[in-house]
Amino acid sequence: MRHYEVVFLVHPDQSEQVPGMIDRYTQLMSDNGGKVHRMEDWGRRQLAYPINKIHKAHYVLMNVECGGETLEELTTLFRFNDAVLRNLVIKCKDAITEESLILQGERESKERKDRAEQRRKMEEEAAAVAAAEGGTDDVDPASLEESAGIEEAATPIEEADTSGEVTDEAPAADEDAETEEG
Amino acid sequence: MARYFRRRKFCKFTAEGTKEIDYKDLETLKAYVSETGKIVPSRITGTKARYQRQLATAIKRARYLSLIPYTDSHQV
Repeated sequence: MRHYEVVFLVHPDQSEQVPGMIDRYTQLMSDNGGKVHRMEDWGRRQLAYPINKIHKAHYVLMNVECGGETLEELTTLFRFNDAVLRNLVIKCKDAITEESLILQGERESKERKDRAEQRRKMEEEAAAVAAAEGGTDDVDPASLEESAGIEEAATPIEEADTSGEVTDEAPAADEDAETEEG
Repeated sequence: MARYFRRRKFCKFTAEGTKEIDYKDLETLKAYVSETGKIVPSRITGTKARYQRQLATAIKRARYLSLIPYTDSHQV
């Protein structure tokens, strides 16, 4: 019995079959005394490059513990299933059960998007309130800032500053490359 | 003689004590491939040999699963 990590890509048109396939494979594992430690359905994802002229695929990840014959059976099933575009099997040292980084990343990006939307809404509301109040005042700091922002395009610069923190590594590496070549 | 101040290179994985580089960690992998999709050599990134080998495997796995592109000029 060994630990394996299996990922397979299913044709997006055959996405409905995925739950059935998962059932079948878990059944196969338990029938042969194996175990499924982690089962993740990443859903339909955009491919980085087209495979068989398809741009999206349904990804499934599973971490299993089984014998060699069982794995052989699984890979033959993949090979003779036309819905499976690609599959990858790697040996692992031990069972992995925590959520994979792909799902984590997706959840975080979704949360970030939600938060950004919320912030934007709040800002809009605040701006509306400020505008309503600012109508009576001669000099309103908020409106002044806004007009300055339009003239100097201050907002894109701010965005660049924040993104610079994240991509800090890449430009430094480029600089090194240039100096080394010279 | 134009001498620039060059920031000291360091291996992120050694610093963090990474056990194994995961091919599913796309954010990390993307930092170590060029814009054209090539793996950036360790002499530029400063990655230690042990981790550069793991990184190469991880990137190749991710490429096979179409998580990251092989090149920027894939036939669309």
